[in-house]
Amino acid sequence: MRLSWLHLALVSLVAVAVPAAAVSRMASDEPKNPHAAADATHLHVELLVPESSLVKGAKPNPAGLYFKLEPGWHIYWKNAGDSGEPPHVKWTFPEGISTSPLQFPAPKRLPLGPLMDFGYEDEVVFPFSFEVGRTAKSGPADLHAKVDWLVCREVCIPGKAELDLIRNVSDRPTNPILSGSDATLIKRFAAQIPKAPPAGFKAVFQSAGSGLRLAVTTGQRETDSEFFPTDQNVLDNPSPQNLTTTSKGLILDLKKDANLTANPSQLRGVLELSGGRAFDLVALPGVVPGAAAASIATTAATASAPASSAPIAAQSLNPQSGEPIASRAPVSSLSELFKASGLAFLGGLLLNLMPCVFPVLFIKGLALVRSSNEERHVLRAHGFIYAAGILVSFWALVAALLALRAAGSHLGWGYQFQSPIFLALMASLLFFLGLSLAGQFEIGLTLTSAGGSLAAKPGYAGSFFTGVLAVVVATPCTAPLMGAAIGYALQQSPVVTFAVFTALALGLAAPYVALTLQPAWTKFLPRPGVWMDLLKQATAIPIFATVIWLAWVLAQAYGATILAALLACLLLVAIAGWFLGRWPATRWATAVAGVILLGVIAVSVFTPAKLAATVPVSTATAAQGAWEPWTAEAVSRYQSQGRPVFVDFTASWCLSCQVNERVALSRPEVQKAFAEANVALLRADWTQHDDAIGNALAALGRSGVPAYALYLPGEKSPRLLPEVLTPGIVTEALGNLPRTATQSAVATSNLK
Amino acid sequence: MASHSRLSGLVLGAVASLALSGVAQQARVGAPAPEFKATDSQGKTEALGQFHGKYVVLEWHNQGCPYTRKHYVSGNMQALQKEWTAKGVAWFTVISSAPGQQGYVTPAQENDYVAKMHAAPTAVLLDTFGTVGRLYNAKTTPEMFVIDPSGKLIYSGAIDDRPTPDPDDVRGANNYVSDALTEAMAGQPVATPYTRPYGCSVKYPD
Repeated sequence: MRLSWLHLALVSLVAVAVPAAAVSRMASDEPKNPHAAADATHLHVELLVPESSLVKGAKPNPAGLYFKLEPGWHIYWKNAGDSGEPPHVKWTFPEGISTSPLQFPAPKRLPLGPLMDFGYEDEVVFPFSFEVGRTAKSGPADLHAKVDWLVCREVCIPGKAELDLIRNVSDRPTNPILSGSDATLIKRFAAQIPKAPPAGFKAVFQSAGSGLRLAVTTGQRETDSEFFPTDQNVLDNPSPQNLTTTSKGLILDLKKDANLTANPSQLRGVLELSGGRAFDLVALPGVVPGAAAASIATTAATASAPASSAPIAAQSLNPQSGEPIASRAPVSSLSELFKASGLAFLGGLLLNLMPCVFPVLFIKGLALVRSSNEERHVLRAHGFIYAAGILVSFWALVAALLALRAAGSHLGWGYQFQSPIFLALMASLLFFLGLSLAGQFEIGLTLTSAGGSLAAKPGYAGSFFTGVLAVVVATPCTAPLMGAAIGYALQQSPVVTFAVFTALALGLAAPYVALTLQPAWTKFLPRPGVWMDLLKQATAIPIFATVIWLAWVLAQAYGATILAALLACLLLVAIAGWFLGRWPATRWATAVAGVILLGVIAVSVFTPAKLAATVPVSTATAAQGAWEPWTAEAVSRYQSQGRPVFVDFTASWCLSCQVNERVALSRPEVQKAFAEANVALLRADWTQHDDAIGNALAALGRSGVPAYALYLPGEKSPRLLPEVLTPGIVTEALGNLPRTATQSAVATSNLK
Repeated sequence: MASHSRLSGLVLGAVASLALSGVAQQARVGAPAPEFKATDSQGKTEALGQFHGKYVVLEWHNQGCPYTRKHYVSGNMQALQKEWTAKGVAWFTVISSAPGQQGYVTPAQENDYVAKMHAAPTAVLLDTFGTVGRLYNAKTTPEMFVIDPSGKLIYSGAIDDRPTPDPDDVRGANNYVSDALTEAMAGQPVATPYTRPYGCSVKYPD
């Protein structure tokens, strides 16, 4: 009841006030030529022209084009921004009369969803002047203006009006007189016309990555500023313009238009400063202090980088700004390249600790044990060759990735696990090696002797292929930072990509190489003996476990029929192993085994295409909890409802993903935290090739899974959680969410 | 274990932040056009990837927008659609108006409109959540994109060089989309690959 009273009071107030204002303006004006004004949809347009005569001579006759807009509606500046068009006037005059172009007062930024326009609300005057030459005929002159404009709120309505005036052209050198209210109006807006910068003003800009840094020296500390570019397609209009106050002016961090290919030779625009000062600016390229750091800040700001999700890391990189360091532009400085390579090296080191490299660690350990009674230089050679094996495989991988990427495929780390052929071959190979390790037959200790000829030289070739195997098996783990490093590297030039991958490879090889280089450590290795056989047989256990996992992945992704084909392959492998073990070192048995193994390869390669069923992956992994299959639409839908959204990018072949889901995401306390914060849970299952998910990952800067994105209301870009999750990490990320905030957001959106 | 995960978290964070801000997959002329999936007015799902090997035109559309109307009332857009689809181009009209926003249409309303206007796009995509629009950073209607058979974005911007809502301005205008397609099909680089789009703003969800 009270509300409706208030409402009524407001309405009547507005009803009284608005016509009153209008009437007062009308009343104060002398009756004029009625055609000089027009009322159009959502606006009133009027020519403000001296009521006295127009005067011939050098002195211009001041005038203005006046727009009065309905609340919420706007018209545009000369650069309208992302949409819109400025008003235009086309004049028809008797001979000798001309006008200056319309002058545009400094505009306002008008955000519209993801877009940014530049324009005016409420009312605006575009001042101009009449110039009446000596040749003009004295007496009444017909002035005819065709005005067109675009007036917008959420919708845009183009309008046009023809405005006619008759004014006396006079020789008498009197001052042209505007009516009092017209003069005040024109004066008010003329004051907002950007001025030429005073002496001492200096403006330079420097391009830095995706950003442009504009430094202006005004002679005083500037705490408030906005820059409006004159030219279109130079700046990204909606990006926030971050201001840094300097002792003699300011620095603005702007973002380039995404399609800008060459750096502009000058940056033209209007700079608005506190106190309504506005200047026409032409900035030339120059050196702006801290431009490199600024590009990082702008890039990070737009990406709303995960500063909060990785606070330790961010601080360790750039303690001052707390912003992570990166640049979208190809790595320009060597130091940045070194930094990336260094981090990649650390990542490679960490790979050694990942659970899915464990079988290989066992094998490497075995190989070391086996070498420990050999000469040191042999040990060393083994170490380097192992490193070479890793390097070569990484290089091969990066070359393949680059080639495929060039071919337009958006592939990521682990993508090979989406191929049923790869899965089947991998499982068969590991099963074969497992059988050998378990003692069914002897092919030497080096794993990759499957080819037979390689087994003949178990030494260096063995070390080399152990390195290769380490890479292949490490792949699905996407050890922490692997995906990120690759995402980063693939954005860069091939040279940088190779450097980063090389560093990763060296990191992976480092522990083993260090062991071979530092013989003192090999002292701690036990002496060869019977235990070696025991150890060898025990090594078969993790290998078989890996086979089980691969089989499970295959069945998850491609159905039970293809699983049967795989098991048949394994049976063939076992039969081949039986031949090799029952009749060792006989040529015919080896040949039979070889033929059988060829059969295995044939089955692996040719059956998937026929038998692979596309299993709806959602049933496989999204069964538990409130997880919904991910679509980009679902994300924006929940966001528009004001709900936080958590996306789990996962795949059944990704071991780390399964671990994270078990130890963190599906834990009751985490699920409870999700429910309390009203988080929408989406799961993007990348088990099978899916371009949409691949693109979404790329947009997050990842090329593989796991990846965890948390979209918070009011934040444009999601926060990323680490690739190794604990319940604490998740609840902490959710802890920033006030529980009531989501409810109030829902409430207000319902009110609308 | 705890310290291990903290350490890995640290290094991970470092590299993750390094990589993250490095990528914001957005439509950029000369770069691969972002892949998308959307439902058309017939209820069919269309994915850009299905049209690999063909030229693809994306036309941002709003039937109430005076700038879009200019090209439909004059018959210009329909003529372009017919001309280029006949030459094997896949032409998608994309509507990114959100429900409750101006220009939002139901599939039935859109199908009626297409029939009434004798429009001839390959399909009309109803981008109700603005997903495709944001992916391409579409700002106005009509804003046009041209994608070549390799999936590269070769033109982005205005339909022509007359930024007015006046149907009379269609004649004599220089049509950037036709230029881009003609040049690309002749094996030449697109002379004007990027212009400022004109028209009404795309009515994204709030």
